[in-house]
Amino acid sequence: MQEKRKQLEYERLVLVYSDQLFRYALWLCHDKSMAEDLVQETCMRAWKSLDKLKDTSSSKAWLMTILRNEHARQYARYRPDMVDLNLDMLSLRDTNNDTSADAFALRQALNELADEYKEPLLLQVIVGLSCEEIASVCNLTKGATMTRLFRAKQKLREVLRPNEEQMES
Amino acid sequence: MKCKDFEYEFIVAPNEMTGDASEHLKICTGCQAFAAKHQAFEYQLAGVINSDVPSNLRDSLRKKRGGQATGRWRFPVMSMALAASIIMGVGLVSLKVFTNEHSNLPIDRLIVEHFNYDGERSHMATVEANPMTLVKLGENFGVRVKLADTVSFVEKCSIGDSYGLHLVYQHNNQPITLIYMPEIPLDEAVSFYYAGLKGWVKPMKKGSLAVLAGSTAELPKQERAKDIIEWL
Repeated sequence: MQEKRKQLEYERLVLVYSDQLFRYALWLCHDKSMAEDLVQETCMRAWKSLDKLKDTSSSKAWLMTILRNEHARQYARYRPDMVDLNLDMLSLRDTNNDTSADAFALRQALNELADEYKEPLLLQVIVGLSCEEIASVCNLTKGATMTRLFRAKQKLREVLRPNEEQMES
Repeated sequence: MKCKDFEYEFIVAPNEMTGDASEHLKICTGCQAFAAKHQAFEYQLAGVINSDVPSNLRDSLRKKRGGQATGRWRFPVMSMALAASIIMGVGLVSLKVFTNEHSNLPIDRLIVEHFNYDGERSHMATVEANPMTLVKLGENFGVRVKLADTVSFVEKCSIGDSYGLHLVYQHNNQPITLIYMPEIPLDEAVSFYYAGLKGWVKPMKKGSLAVLAGSTAELPKQERAKDIIEWL
């Protein structure tokens, strides 16, 4: 790939996906600085192997795979220290600045969700990947991805159900 | 399709409904109520999951890569100066076609950058926008927009260092974005496709017109640009 075209393509990727990369990284690391570092590393690796990206329509899933691998490589060993941290304690603000009890309960339930369910959900909600793309990023079958998405959302919906029932009665 | 199957499909991926599920949704009032309730949940979930992003992240990603690339350059100073002059010369020639005098960004990146900030919000509206707003804003830009499809969003937006007329219309249930930029001239049409977005920008009598949409949407042909904008 010509250097100029490569630079342009890189900037396009950064332009379009940096926010999603950061949000996904933040859920993986539970720490803003670590998430920024992870995104920086991901972008560096993406730059180095940009020539291998033949189909630009798959660039989103490609970037997320790099980020996920990079996280596993660099940060996974530190996770035992991080899992107990509560996202609220780190003063993260969601984009809606939703401070309702439902939002709090949802956040809590998300933190408690097993990684195997949380990861496909985050890739769908933050990145907007299709079930097929999530399956390829997470090395799952499409069927397994769909099952995990279903169970994850069911679990989270259960958190809100008591309120729904109260309102309905 | 049974309601239970629809619910499963809708919970798993509301944006990937199959034809069967869409058909079922049209005729089943129970599932319509379920879909509305679940959409509210999805919206709430997205709000909780999506956190704020540091405002300087994008810049730092660009700069960091640029800095490292420079650091690896190991040619002698004279060669560097010579290479720099050649690169600048080539760069100036190749960028002339794609850039505009108001911004150093190539036109397609300028548009995508704008869409990145505004696109999601502009696509949220699916009902018809006030036709008078379209007429009035069009008059501000000295144009009349002629579209057969429903315009769902219209706004005066800042793009580059100037203003543009940003509107979204619905074609075959797909939102298509038009941005008329009277102060951003262009030498020749540019097509672009990346990151799930495709589009083109075409020089107009005054300024340029950009059209973009999701990769699966049907874009109007570039030749239609002159039919879309009428000069007042």
